[in-house]
Amino acid sequence: MSGHDSKYFSTTKKGEIPELKEELNSQYKDKRKDAVKKVIAAMTVGKDVSSLFTDVVNCMQTENLELKKLVYLYLINYAKSQPDLAILAVNTFVKDSQDPNPLIRALAVRTMGCIRVDKITEYLCDPLQRCLKDDDPYVRKTAAICVAKLYDINAELVEDRGFLEALRDLISDNNPMVVANAVAALAEIQENSSRPIFEITSHTLSKLLTALNECTEWGQVFILDALSKYKAADAREAENIVERVTPRLQHANCAVVLSAVKMILQQMELISSTDVVRNLCKKMAPPLVTLLSAEPEIQYVALRNINLIVQKRPTILAHEIKVFFCKYNDPIYVKMEKLEIMIKLASDRNIDQVLLEFKEYATEVDVDFVRKAVRAIGRCAIKLERAAERCISVLLELIKIKVNYVVQEAIIVIKDIFRRYPNTYESIIATLCESLDTLDEPEAKASMIWIIGEYAERIDNADELLESFLESFPEEPAQVQLQLLTATVKLFLKKPTEGPQQMIQVVLNNATVETDNPDLRDRAYIYWRLLSTDPEAAKDVVLAEKPVISDDSNQLDASLLDELLGNIATLSSVYHKPPEAFVTRVKTAQRTEEEDYVDGSESGYSESPAHALDSSASPPVAASSARQPAAAAPAPAAPAPVPDLLDLGLDNSNSAIVSVDEPGPASGPPLPVLLPAATGQGLQISAQLVRRDGQIFYSMLFENNTQIPLDGFMIQFNKNTFGLAAGGPLQLPQLLPGTSASTLLPMVLFQNVLPGAPSSLLQVAVKNNQQPVWYFNDRFSLPVFFTEDGRMERGTFLETWKSLPDSNEVSRDFPAIVMNSIESTLDRLAASNMFFIAKRKHANQDVLYLSAKIPRGIPFLIEITAAIGIPGLKCAIKTPSPEIAPLFFEGIESLLNS
Amino acid sequence: MISQFFVLSQRGDNIVFRDYRGDVQKGSAEIFFRKVKFWKEDDEEEAPPVFNVDGVNYFHVKVVGLLFVATTRTNTSPSLVLELLQRVARVIKDYLGVLNEDSLRKNFVLVYELLDEVIDFGFVQTTSTEVLKSYVFNEPIVVDAGRLPPLGPASLFMQGTKRMPGTAITKSVVANEPGGRKREEIFVDIIEKISVTFSSSGYILTSEIDGTIQMKSYLTGNPEIRLALNDDLSIERGGRSIYEYGGSSGAGAVILDDCNFHESVHLESFDVDRTLSLVPPDGEFPVMNYRITQEFKPPFRINTLIEEAGQLKAEVILKIRAEFLSSITANTIVVQMPLPKYTTRVSFELEPGATGQTTDFKESNRRLEWNLKKIVGGSEHTLRAKLTFSQESHGNITKEAGPVSMTFTIPMYNPSRLQVKYLQIAKKSKTYNPYRWVRYVTQANSYVARI
Repeated sequence: MSGHDSKYFSTTKKGEIPELKEELNSQYKDKRKDAVKKVIAAMTVGKDVSSLFTDVVNCMQTENLELKKLVYLYLINYAKSQPDLAILAVNTFVKDSQDPNPLIRALAVRTMGCIRVDKITEYLCDPLQRCLKDDDPYVRKTAAICVAKLYDINAELVEDRGFLEALRDLISDNNPMVVANAVAALAEIQENSSRPIFEITSHTLSKLLTALNECTEWGQVFILDALSKYKAADAREAENIVERVTPRLQHANCAVVLSAVKMILQQMELISSTDVVRNLCKKMAPPLVTLLSAEPEIQYVALRNINLIVQKRPTILAHEIKVFFCKYNDPIYVKMEKLEIMIKLASDRNIDQVLLEFKEYATEVDVDFVRKAVRAIGRCAIKLERAAERCISVLLELIKIKVNYVVQEAIIVIKDIFRRYPNTYESIIATLCESLDTLDEPEAKASMIWIIGEYAERIDNADELLESFLESFPEEPAQVQLQLLTATVKLFLKKPTEGPQQMIQVVLNNATVETDNPDLRDRAYIYWRLLSTDPEAAKDVVLAEKPVISDDSNQLDASLLDELLGNIATLSSVYHKPPEAFVTRVKTAQRTEEEDYVDGSESGYSESPAHALDSSASPPVAASSARQPAAAAPAPAAPAPVPDLLDLGLDNSNSAIVSVDEPGPASGPPLPVLLPAATGQGLQISAQLVRRDGQIFYSMLFENNTQIPLDGFMIQFNKNTFGLAAGGPLQLPQLLPGTSASTLLPMVLFQNVLPGAPSSLLQVAVKNNQQPVWYFNDRFSLPVFFTEDGRMERGTFLETWKSLPDSNEVSRDFPAIVMNSIESTLDRLAASNMFFIAKRKHANQDVLYLSAKIPRGIPFLIEITAAIGIPGLKCAIKTPSPEIAPLFFEGIESLLNS
Repeated sequence: MISQFFVLSQRGDNIVFRDYRGDVQKGSAEIFFRKVKFWKEDDEEEAPPVFNVDGVNYFHVKVVGLLFVATTRTNTSPSLVLELLQRVARVIKDYLGVLNEDSLRKNFVLVYELLDEVIDFGFVQTTSTEVLKSYVFNEPIVVDAGRLPPLGPASLFMQGTKRMPGTAITKSVVANEPGGRKREEIFVDIIEKISVTFSSSGYILTSEIDGTIQMKSYLTGNPEIRLALNDDLSIERGGRSIYEYGGSSGAGAVILDDCNFHESVHLESFDVDRTLSLVPPDGEFPVMNYRITQEFKPPFRINTLIEEAGQLKAEVILKIRAEFLSSITANTIVVQMPLPKYTTRVSFELEPGATGQTTDFKESNRRLEWNLKKIVGGSEHTLRAKLTFSQESHGNITKEAGPVSMTFTIPMYNPSRLQVKYLQIAKKSKTYNPYRWVRYVTQANSYVARI
């Protein structure tokens, strides 16, 4: 007899496929099974064995479950590429779904659901209907998941055939495994639907809480996660729920524990009794700590979550700081998170213990960890006023060891401590100056120079110290140059003697004439002008009292923190980013046969009613192009963000460049050209940001006017105000000369945020394998970011308006804009997710009130004043983030102008 | 829910790859591996277990040098996915007996069959080896475990002790042994990982025990089992602050800070007489995890003395004293100590007549290493190391060297004194008398003495 499955990998002779074909048709069962195994082995190493489709499918009719499963595995992989042949399997599937053996029935629906071929899907409905009501729980639980699969392929079919009701019925099933799967399926369907599909009533709540006790551990997580969306009616109900959920904290499965914690935290919001809350906190602490005994990977997730929890409820783990002390053998990512939490839990009571730990960490081997430990000491000093002195003495001790990177890190934090406690600890400056010549990192250098400038009057030889840096001024990094400039000006203002006067000449000269750094030059010119016109004013400006900095250990703002706490036990709570910043709903990845998905294929990007109004809708989306017969090609745009464009590209090759202004619903206005062919050596790129179904895409059109095929396209975005970045790789086929292709690139937010004043600038780099990298600039329009949930109730609008200070109101006049009809204006605004709230008349003018919201929940309250038909429109907005107002006006101007 | 599951070798080869949803590109394994291998972000050099690349979230755990990875695009529960990856590894190990690249490759058909039952459309269905047995039909092909590196907590037992049947650990739960019948036996392992930090003056700064009662059953017919623990076991959840150490309870009692149980465990009589009853499912699983911060007697005392001998020389004297009974022997002890960066040469001097000890100075990371094959309870061992420096130390040696850390394994010893007093198996017949193995072992987790 044979030995190992691995032998199947080894036959790579020439005639492999014919040989396999022969074996698959053997009259001996064992030989056939062996042959299928060889086929699967070839498949898993990436060989193409699709030509054996018929032969493999022929082996499907067997009572041998082992063999049947292998054939099914093959089918799932290749059915899509052989849709016509896949039909051959349908009969067996349907027959299997009525087999007396429940395993075979379940296997049939499970597999059919995985085959994303329309012709198979059609035949899935009847068996699925039967299996949802099967006597055997194994079949029912498999069928429940299958509904979710079907919904992903064809949502309409699921709704038409009443599968949603069937799924809801399964919530009352007597088998907890079935209940759990039904809940999981419904929760996922709800996630992808805008209509209420799975609403938890108090009735379902009690049923699910009962099922919770009998479920497998994984089922418990499904149920807890679904229930966490439930809002209890009052404190009593919340307490009841918590009581039922608390025993889950004792589970050995960390996922169960964290989901239970999430649920309890959520309900705690409603509980007003401080005793109950205190008691719950007490109950949650030990299981949270126990998570730190798990594998390091789990510890990491637990620590990221605990980081959020202690920001909201610091008392929970106030006495447990010791468990966050770093172990010698913790992986670095665990150590770093522990440090963060130690800083958060540090208090006057435990600071001595904590400092002792930090000091120890600061002499460890791992440089990054050491640096972070030194910074941690500084952050504790800033956080705890009464402990600041002790922190500083620890820092001085560390400086004395003279380990270079420790010294530099210490100087950086001491600068912050000086800012936090001005005029308190300057006595240590002398010690710091001893290490002056060992500094070689820009941040440390800049910090030291800042200290010298700030305290120039107390350092006797401040001018000498600064002068020593001046020699190398042109070679210093920008950060250091800026500090040198400011420090020299400070020195001069404080000690206007000859030495500093000469120095300032040198510096100003270096920073204006000799530099091409605009920031440095601007700052230098400002100082220059100030000093030459009014030295007293210069003093007021440069030596003004600085705002005191504060503790940054709870750095998340309250609304983001609440959002993240609502997402405990999800990825969001690990990244500390709201879900919309990283979730990309690319649901159509492998569906190459888009034509097969007749309308209703809810494949992610079909037009929602709100968008139908969007007159500027650019290229077509799956639904509309698919509805047209194949003749409708050349479709100017990719039907899906990750399509197999190869076919399209070849089809189009005879029709030269695709016309972008193809008539009919399939096209919108042409995209703006960002890289003209003249600049791109024949490659032309047009692009624009668009919003589809709550997701931002970069709609792009590539035209190849060169003489060679272009391929290997990649894209990258520079840091920008909203941190826009590609949510996936750029999916583009090879572009033959004279052809074009378009694509919708899903975008994600808050990846590489450019700090500073908001700007609509988007810098893009595109490369391919044949040409140099192309850089071009785009400007985004703010309305692209307006989220679908920006509608505000009238009452909320009024309250918010009142609650925001007047300084947050910004307005602008647009003298050239004419509002011709209120209706069409509102429609146009609504299409960009600006929602109408109220209207009033003021003399001959109409005043419109609208609301909009950008990610991270920042609202815009909008007031538009204009007279119908008369040029001139005034727009006033109020928002917590008035710095974004210029972008807003930019956006609304282009919207109303078009 | 997850989109893909795959297992990569240390070199990044795809050993197993299963796509459940088709919404993440096929090249994800390569993208993942490149990212992990060349990780350098936020100043950290080791990739965290969860990260996002271009909209795809990658989760991974390392198990015996293999990377178990899952991907998803949704905002799913990371603890669920990471726990799942661990469990998948455990299920595969239950089935194959040994988990490594070779056994995975030899059994790929079985592994795919398992994966299809464990996960459907990205949703976890079950990770219980017991439940899976009724749906999975491929027979494992057992690989020779002889030369393979040991793995997992159970492998601790393979070292040094004659009483443990070494083969049990790498025996598949489902496969029959040669001869066609399985040996009726059950293993209950009390595994304690201890972390202790000593201050420079020898005080205990922190100490902690992470314990697990691990069970692996090869009993047919799943008879009910009763495990009795110490009568004086108590649980003090959150009631006690760490600032009032060790006061409240009488001497000798075992006090757990917290514990949790496997879902098969019935706790009805636990509160009354500290017995756990369960019908053990097949495969290896933790019956109970517990955590103790109550003070305990550390098994080893570490004494470090540093004497400067002139400007460029110093001597380090390391003393290890084993503070447990002489009937107990610790094995595979490693003592490590980072030395100042400017150390250029180290010469070692062991006690006269020392056997089974080796010493080394790892120049790449300036680390002193002292290996001892075994240490008998009550004994004391000393190492003298003469250091030569390339620059003057300015009296900073103690700040730039250390701390001293130790790893070891001590079979038949557990510092918590938690005991399985008896292990009762419901009898099927008079002649039914399966082998029962109750084993204790203690391992160092983070055992550190500051200097």
